[in-house]
Amino acid sequence: MHWIDWTILIAYLVWIVVDGIRLTKKSKELEGYFLASRSIPWWAVGLSVMATQLSAITMIGTTGQGYAEGMRFIQYYYALPLAMLILSVTFVPFFHNARVFTAYEYLERRFDAKTRSLTAFLFLISRAMACGAVISAPAVVLSVILGLNVTATCLFIGLPTALYTIFGGVQAVTWTDVKQMGLIVFGLLAAFAALIIGIPREVGVTGALDIAGSLGYMQTFDFEFDLSNRYTFWSGTIAALFLFLSYFGTDQSQVQRYLTARSVDDARVSLFMSGYWKIPLQVLVLLIGVLIFVFYIFTPPPMLFNAAHEQRVRESARAAEYATLEQQFDRAIAGRRDAAAQLAAAERNGDGAATAFANAGFKSWNDEVIRIRQSAVALVKDVSGDQSYNDVNFVFPTWVTTHLPVGIVGLILAAIFAAAMSTIAAELASLSTATVIDFYRRWIRSEADDHHLLNVSRAATAFWGLFASVVAIYAVELGSLIEVVNRFGSFFYGSILGVFFLAIGWRRANGNGAFIGLIAGMAAVAYVNFSTSVEFLWLNVVGAVTVFVVGIIISELAPSAPKVPR
Amino acid sequence: MNAQVRKHYVRIVVVWLLTLASLYALQQYFS
Repeated sequence: MHWIDWTILIAYLVWIVVDGIRLTKKSKELEGYFLASRSIPWWAVGLSVMATQLSAITMIGTTGQGYAEGMRFIQYYYALPLAMLILSVTFVPFFHNARVFTAYEYLERRFDAKTRSLTAFLFLISRAMACGAVISAPAVVLSVILGLNVTATCLFIGLPTALYTIFGGVQAVTWTDVKQMGLIVFGLLAAFAALIIGIPREVGVTGALDIAGSLGYMQTFDFEFDLSNRYTFWSGTIAALFLFLSYFGTDQSQVQRYLTARSVDDARVSLFMSGYWKIPLQVLVLLIGVLIFVFYIFTPPPMLFNAAHEQRVRESARAAEYATLEQQFDRAIAGRRDAAAQLAAAERNGDGAATAFANAGFKSWNDEVIRIRQSAVALVKDVSGDQSYNDVNFVFPTWVTTHLPVGIVGLILAAIFAAAMSTIAAELASLSTATVIDFYRRWIRSEADDHHLLNVSRAATAFWGLFASVVAIYAVELGSLIEVVNRFGSFFYGSILGVFFLAIGWRRANGNGAFIGLIAGMAAVAYVNFSTSVEFLWLNVVGAVTVFVVGIIISELAPSAPKVPR
Repeated sequence: MNAQVRKHYVRIVVVWLLTLASLYALQQYFS
């Protein structure tokens, strides 16, 4: 990478840390540290909500998904605006009016201490492990792109983020999120513009999308009702609705964002920003992936996008096998390029028969490219032992560093760092808040003053930063374990949502009903997950509905005086 | 809840439906 790009990247890291630490003086008491004294304007909260949700996995993984499978992933986000509407009339006013620090604090006021502690504990476990994955996933890719080892990139991402979160608290998290979101949007728009400019003139934008469309890349709706298919219209509107209600309504990393707003209405409007912009933003991300796919039809791509793995195979005993695959790959790439040019010309001339013929040829060459790539990936997995290797995650950063001008490369890589750091910062702040408010202040030192709690909060943020970085560093070895833990996290999401449904939606619900319902919900999710092929998004529905139903039954069978939250 | 916030409810639903319609049109046009 050029020294100018390195300078931009390092300048970004220094600037964001200095800018975050600058806000330390506004975090002198607990409410300032955890909730920015409920003083943040709605637009900054809204950008912070978006920046928290958009991680580096989105920039790297989702563009890769667009490259490999087209637009179908967009269906996953269809319910998001509806979730924001529902939350703004249900959860948001409850949390704001209760003047709580954490979502789980509200559960003790409504139910009891055990329900609060269990939900907070589940949050800590799942979010801390997820935070490790949020660091490790981009770190693995960036280590190859930047030519550093994985430990160094994990620390490059984790340490600066922990530093400004420890000192600046939620003030720093929110205001750096605003700037990072600006950088992310700039990076995405710059990439999109470069791709549009890079399309061959004789093909044009419409021709490029026609070519992608001929392979089903422009499919945005799949109305088949299939519980084992991850991305359909139904999973995107029904199952994902439960996921988004849970994520934005009960996950402290998001709830904490809008608890910093000045009023209930400000909190509502901040969520609406995601309601308006999330789907278009995600379309942009996926379109970038689709256009990179088209770009690499007319510009020869590498057979594998991970240069380090490729080098390793070339130096191994199976180098000859790899060279043979490369020869086949070069032939298939040339065949695919010519077929795509014929397809574009036939589409331009409006010749139906020629279009159908060219389309068949193009599909056949593309299938051949996919087949050879799969063989190459299998070879890499054998040689490197990296069974979780996913080549598409390297597509976007490789394209950026090999085809964009000096300066823009640095800015887009800084945007990838920004995407990772904005998510991690919010997660560290929320982990620290739940640790201090739901455990330390609740069970250990309830009489402690703000000064003491503030010191403990900073220590807790540092601890979680260290914990997440260590998880990230060992994530490569732990590979499949991390995946299991993340999947395990989806066991809790719907069930925790069910507890909040009970709290807000069933007046006679009591603590025992909520607690037993929560355990029943997790058991139901575990059963469905291990004994059926139902896709993970639907587990959120199973968990929430089970908790709600079991919670009502237990509460009605063994009633107690309802607690009215303060 | 002030009137401005209430207006957002209608706007979000309208924008949401328009977005889905545009994506459906995109799929139909390029397939």
